[in-house]
Amino acid sequence: MPMITRRRLLAGSAAALALPAFARAQSAIKPRLTAISQWSAGSDGAAITALGKKFEEKGGVWQHSPVPGFTTEMMNKLRAQIMAGDPPACSQLKGPEIAAWSKIAPTVNLDELVAAAGYEKFVAPDLAKLHKPGGKWIALPLQIYSTNMLFLSKRAMDKAKADKIPVTWADFNGLAEKMKAGGVAYPIANGGTRPDDGQKFEAALAGISPAAYRAAIMNLDKKALEGPEVRAAFVQVRKIADWMDPNVGAQHFSTNLKRFVDGDMGMMIMGGWAQGVLRNAGFKFEDFMIAPGPSDNGKSVFLLNADAFIFWQRKEPDLQAGQALMAQLVMDPAIQTMYSQITGSIPVRTDVDLSGEGWSDGQRRTAAALKDAIASNQAVLSVAHNMAQENGLTAALIDVITEYVKNKTIKPEQAVTRLAEAVESAR
Amino acid sequence: MVRRLPEYLTIWVPLLLSAAHLVSFSLWTIWISFTPSTLVPVSGWVGLRNYTSVLASRNWQIAFDNLLLFGSAFVLLSLVTGLILAILLDQRIRGENVLRSIFLYPLAVSFVVTGTVWSWLLNPGIGIQKLVHDFGWTSFRFDWLIDRDMAIWTIVIAAIWQSSGFAMALFLAGLRSVDADLIKAAQIDGAGPVRMYRRVILPTLWPITITVIVIQLQFAISTFDLVRALTNGGPGIATQLPALVVYDLMFQRNLLGRGAAAAVLMLLILLAVLLPYAAWRYLQRRRVRHA
Amino acid sequence: MRDRTFAPSRLLIYLVVSLIAAAWLVPLIVVVLNSLRSNEEIVQTSMIGWPRQWAFGNYLTAWSDFCVAQTCVGIRPYMLNSALVTIPATIFSTLLGAVAGYAVSLWRFRGDNWIYGIVTLGIFLPQQMRLLPWTIVLRDTGLMNTLTGLVLIHTIQGLSFTVLFCRNYYVAIPQELISAARIDGAGFFRIFWRIILPLSPPILVVTVIWQFTHIWNEFLYGVTFTTGQQQPVTAALIALSAAVADIPHHGVQSAAVMIAALPTLLIYLIGGKYFVRGLTAGAVK
Repeated sequence: MPMITRRRLLAGSAAALALPAFARAQSAIKPRLTAISQWSAGSDGAAITALGKKFEEKGGVWQHSPVPGFTTEMMNKLRAQIMAGDPPACSQLKGPEIAAWSKIAPTVNLDELVAAAGYEKFVAPDLAKLHKPGGKWIALPLQIYSTNMLFLSKRAMDKAKADKIPVTWADFNGLAEKMKAGGVAYPIANGGTRPDDGQKFEAALAGISPAAYRAAIMNLDKKALEGPEVRAAFVQVRKIADWMDPNVGAQHFSTNLKRFVDGDMGMMIMGGWAQGVLRNAGFKFEDFMIAPGPSDNGKSVFLLNADAFIFWQRKEPDLQAGQALMAQLVMDPAIQTMYSQITGSIPVRTDVDLSGEGWSDGQRRTAAALKDAIASNQAVLSVAHNMAQENGLTAALIDVITEYVKNKTIKPEQAVTRLAEAVESAR
Repeated sequence: MVRRLPEYLTIWVPLLLSAAHLVSFSLWTIWISFTPSTLVPVSGWVGLRNYTSVLASRNWQIAFDNLLLFGSAFVLLSLVTGLILAILLDQRIRGENVLRSIFLYPLAVSFVVTGTVWSWLLNPGIGIQKLVHDFGWTSFRFDWLIDRDMAIWTIVIAAIWQSSGFAMALFLAGLRSVDADLIKAAQIDGAGPVRMYRRVILPTLWPITITVIVIQLQFAISTFDLVRALTNGGPGIATQLPALVVYDLMFQRNLLGRGAAAAVLMLLILLAVLLPYAAWRYLQRRRVRHA
Repeated sequence: MRDRTFAPSRLLIYLVVSLIAAAWLVPLIVVVLNSLRSNEEIVQTSMIGWPRQWAFGNYLTAWSDFCVAQTCVGIRPYMLNSALVTIPATIFSTLLGAVAGYAVSLWRFRGDNWIYGIVTLGIFLPQQMRLLPWTIVLRDTGLMNTLTGLVLIHTIQGLSFTVLFCRNYYVAIPQELISAARIDGAGFFRIFWRIILPLSPPILVVTVIWQFTHIWNEFLYGVTFTTGQQQPVTAALIALSAAVADIPHHGVQSAAVMIAALPTLLIYLIGGKYFVRGLTAGAVK
C-alpha cells in the first residue's frame, strides 16, 4: 500500500509545477476539464453550469461531477480520488484548506497565467494570500460574499416607526428594542445552524473591532483571545440570541423568511447569498433592505467568504490545456460578472463596474463596502465559513459559539475561556 | 482432496474475505489512531495523544453520556414497544396483515428520510406542538427538539418508530411458536390470559429477547444518518453521539488520527457490552454440554 | 370458540392498536401530502400541511425532469443504478450467506465457530471505520467509481448479516438428516441443493428483505465511491435537499423520496407476511 509518508508530503508541497508551454499555446489539443464541487443545485449549480457552457463555447470538454451533499461529502470524494491517485483537474476548495490540501498532492503553478492576465493587483491581498500558499498561485477565487450583511424587513421597520438604517451595534440594539416595542415578535430572523451561529459571533467581534478580530481569530493571538473585545462580542451575541424565536432550534434561516417579509421578524445578519434565497422563494426586493453589517468605528467592515477552485497536477495534455483555459476564464471580468450575477455574490476583481443592468443595489453596496474595507484594512476573513482557519480549528471554535448561543446559562466570561481553550488544545 | 476443492473454496473464500476485511479494517483503524494523520493517512507515531485529546473534548464526553442514555432507553423502550405490539397483534384481530404492514413499513424508509420528517414533526413551530395549539390547547408544550436536555429523547422517539417493527416481528414469531401443548395444559389448569402470558409465553420468549437486544444495540451504536438528519448533534452539541463524533473528526475536521482514536473507543464500548454476553453464552453452552 | 369480537376487552385492544397504528402512519402521511404540494406553497406556509392546490406534477418532475447540475433527467437513471447495485449484491450475499451458514451449522469443519464469530461480529463495525480502507481496496482493485465496486462492498459487508441469519436458522435442522445423506454418498453441494435449499424459503425471504432494504437505503458509500450519473438514488435525493445557498424544493423532493422508497415499501408490504413466518422458523437465535 503506497502510504503517504512524511517525506512524500514535503515533496508534494513543493511540487507545484507550471503548466507546460504547449498547453498554454492551445494548439490542436482539445482542452478537457474534470471538476468536482458540491454545487449540484440552486444558484450555485446554475452558475457553475453556465461557466461550463462558456468553457465548451471555447472548444473545451466540460466534465463536472457535482457531489451531492455538503462540503464534507465533496471533501470525501476528493480525498478518495486523491488517495486513488486520480485527482480531478480542478476541484472546489477554499480558505486555509487550500494550503492544507496542497501538501498531500501536487498542484499546478499558475503564476505565469496570473501574471499574464495582470490579475493579482485586482484581488484583495488577504484573499490572494490564501490562494498562494508557498508563494505560488495554485488556486483561483470564483466569487466573494460578505457574511455580515444586514437585512431589514420593510414592514418591521414600519412597525418600529424607524427609517434609519443602523450603523453601529448600539444603533442595531436600539432598533431591535424599537421593533420589539412596536409589536415585532422576534426582532432577529436568523436561523440556528452552525455557520449561522458562527456568523453572529464574527459579525459582532469584527463590528466591535476588526483589529481585535484579526488578532484573535485570524492570528490566534492569546492576549487578543482573552481581551475585552471578545467578551463584548459574546455579550452582543447573547442579545441577538435573546431576540430570536426559540423555536428555531437548529434550522436554516430560510424557514423564517415568510415571517421576516411579513414583519413578524425584523432583521437578519446574513451573507449576501440570502438575496438569492429570498428571490427564489418568490419574495420581492421591495420587501426588504440590505445594508452593510454594523461597524462601531465608522468605516466598513467586510467579512470575506470566497469560493475557489484548486488545480491538481495531471499528466494528460488535454487536461492541462483544460486547466489553462479554466484559469483564464475564471480571471476574466466578463465571466466573473456572469457568475456573480447568477449567484448574487460580488466578483473577485475590484475593477469590475457594477453600475450596469443585472446587478442589485445590495451587490453594488457590497462591492463598494469591500473596496472601502480593503482601503482601511478592515476586510477580514470569515471564520464561520472556514476562511480564517482550517476546518478542525474552525469546528472547535464553532462548538463553543453554538453551545453558547443555545445555552442561555453560559456566561460571556465562560465562553471567552472556552474559546481560548479550544484554540490551545488545537495548537 | 482435490475433489473437495470446490467445496472448500465455496465455504472458505467468502468467509475468509469477510473475516479478513473485518480484521484488517479494524487493525488499520487502530494503527491510524496512533499516527499524526490529518487529511490523509500518514505513518508516524504519536502515542496516546489522539486518545487523550478525544477523551478530553466536550464533544466526546457529551457523546459518551448520550450513548449510555440513548442506548439503554432506546433498547429498553423499543423492546417493550415491540412486545406490546406483538402481543396486541397476537390476539387474532381482524386486519392483522394491514396492521403488521403498518408497523413494519418504517424499516423500509431510509434513516435520512426518517430523521428529516421527524425533525418537522417534532419542531414546535410547525409540528405536533403547533397542531395541538391550533386545536385550542395553547399551553401544550412539546418542544424537546430545541431543548438541550430533552433533545436526545427526540432521537429515541424517531428510532423507536423506525425499528420497533422489527422487534415486533421477532416477538410475534416467538409468540406464535410457543408450544401449543404448553398453552393447552395451562388452559386446562384454568389460567386466565394474563397468567398465561406471564407464566408460559413470556418465559419462552427469553432467547428471542436476547436477539432483539443485540440487534437493537447494534442499531443504537451505529446510528448516524438518523441523528444527522434529525438534530445534527444539536441544539448546540447536546445530541452528539460517538458515530457522529467519529465522522466529524475524520472527515469534517480532517483529523483522521483523532477520528480513528474515537472509533477505537467506540469499539471498546461495544466490547464492554458484548463480552459479558459472549461469556454468558459460553457458560450456557458449557452447562448444556455438561448436563 | 365463542365470538368475542365485541367484548369490551376486544374493543379496547382494537382502540389501542388503531391509535398506535395511526401514530405510526403520520410520517408517511406528511411526506405523501408534501409530495402533492408545490415547492412555493411549502416555503410560504409550513413544512407540514394540507395541500391548497394539488401538485401532482411533482411526481413527473421528480421522475424525469428534475436537475442535478447539468443533467435534467430526474431520478430515473439513479433508480436504475440503485437496482444495478442492490439486486446483485442482495442475491450474492444471500446465496453465499446461505452456503456459509449451512457449512458452519451442519456440515461442520475445523474452526467453524471461530470464523462464524468473527464474521458476525462484523455487524457491529461502524461505517466510518470502513470508508477509508474501502477507498484503498477499491483503488488497488481498480474499481473506484464503478457500480461493481459498490456491489463488492455490499456483498462482503452483507455476509456478516446473512451468515448470522442463515446459520441460526439452519441449526434447527436435525443433524441426522445430513448424516443420513452423507452415508448415502451425497456431497456438500448435493445436500445443499436437495435438502437445505428446499427448507430455506422462510429464511431466504428474511435475508433478502433485510439486505435489499439496507443496500437500497445506503448513502455514504454510494456518494463517495461513485460519480455523476452512476450514483445511486440516495445520492440523488441528497442533491435535492442540500442546496445551501438556495431553498430546497420540498415538494419535488418529497415526491422523489416516495418514488425512491417505493421498492422497499413494496417489499415490506408484499413480503411482510413471509418476513414474520421466516422469523417464526427461527431466523435469529
